[in-house]
Amino acid sequence: MQGYSAVSAGEAKRSQTRRIVVTGVLAAIAILLGVTRLGFIPVPTAAGNATIMHLPAVIGGVLEGPVVGGVIGLIFGLTSFFDATNPVFKDPLVAILPRIFIGIVAYLVYAGLRRVRVPAWVNLPITGFMGSATNTVLVLLMIWLRFHWRLPVILSVAVVNGLPEAVVSAIITTAVVGAYLGITRRNAKSKIS
Amino acid sequence: MADFELARYVTIGQYLATDSVIHRLDPRVKLVAFVLWVVAASCTGSLLGNAVLLILGLAGLALARIPLRFGLSGVVPAIPLILLMSVLMVLFYQPDPGAHVWLHWRILTITWEGVRLALVSAARFIEMVMFISILTLSTTLSDLTRALEALLRPLRALRFPADEAALMVSIALRFVPTLAQEAERLMKAQAARGADIGTARPWQLIRRTRSVLPVIVPLFVSALRRADELVLAMEARGYVPGAPRSSYVEYAARGSDAMALALTVLLCALIVWLPWPW
Repeated sequence: MQGYSAVSAGEAKRSQTRRIVVTGVLAAIAILLGVTRLGFIPVPTAAGNATIMHLPAVIGGVLEGPVVGGVIGLIFGLTSFFDATNPVFKDPLVAILPRIFIGIVAYLVYAGLRRVRVPAWVNLPITGFMGSATNTVLVLLMIWLRFHWRLPVILSVAVVNGLPEAVVSAIITTAVVGAYLGITRRNAKSKIS
Repeated sequence: MADFELARYVTIGQYLATDSVIHRLDPRVKLVAFVLWVVAASCTGSLLGNAVLLILGLAGLALARIPLRFGLSGVVPAIPLILLMSVLMVLFYQPDPGAHVWLHWRILTITWEGVRLALVSAARFIEMVMFISILTLSTTLSDLTRALEALLRPLRALRFPADEAALMVSIALRFVPTLAQEAERLMKAQAARGADIGTARPWQLIRRTRSVLPVIVPLFVSALRRADELVLAMEARGYVPGAPRSSYVEYAARGSDAMALALTVLLCALIVWLPWPW
């Protein structure tokens, strides 16, 4: 998957430690956003809140690949399941399953656009938007399948909640990944000089 | 000022030491049983089945000697939402063509199916809260992560990185309080610079959203920087992913554990497969 052919075994091991740690730390942010009000922006709709809790999964997918993104999404799903005060999210098929795909989709979008040489400042907002849209669409799909909400209700939640969420996600993903990659590049330079 | 306190809300790892039968069960058994109960509750669409699950959940709380005010504390703040949701579900349920209609008025239809679905959803919510309470209040976090590690270990044969997964969960749980403090510091620092934190009213959506940005972005960046440092520290101490590691605590399942597991499997299977009348 990662094509380590040009890298020594030691390098490969090191990046695996990296993946474990980054997953853990970003999952910690997902949990923190979930248990405090930091991750919620209250919106007066049936679903309750616009959330930025899925962002760690998006950022993990972009920085460390689909496995990391998927696992962070899984942990996010577990917290939202454990912590839910909304009956809809006490259903693991709604709370957990769709969340696994957030980071995977984010990685696919990001890697795909990178391959066709889309510059990062265009790529990152699109990735953030799509990662968030994945969350909205799949969760609402599961709600529709499990709770039989009417389509107009589902669609209005998608627009009222999903759209602002996706825009916020686009902005924050760009800011965070841009800042972080900027930092590592500067560090690398200072090490050489 | 209350808006600046985050660490207070972090209740992860709350544990109620009542030393009951359930507390003394092997954490691996508890974790497996918990998953089974959650699956049973999500698979049961019948009203009677859910009533039985509710009674069994209450029995579990009693067995674990967890007072109801702890065990059901998650239900109280949700009551208004549950009521609202139930009403919406009953009114807006999309009936099948052949359904028995109780009341029909313009776009509102009340059917037995809709009422049943609303009741089942409410019951399911309370069941889930009870199962989660029983597991987390009777098991410490370190026991839970070790149990997870032990349960995932057989998957190593399929090249699933069990130890790494458990390590990941421990790192995640360990970092939550640290990052909560970090977020608090960031909020205060940004507020001192004149950022718009804690002043927007709940209905000022755009202002609230904007006030989140100067905290969230540095929070992510500093967390990623901490991750870099942790990787370095782990490598300096000779951590090798996938290498065999020993554990401080070894679990040994007893007869009571086997009994608890057998009982859980039996009850869950009965609840899922019994042909409940309604």
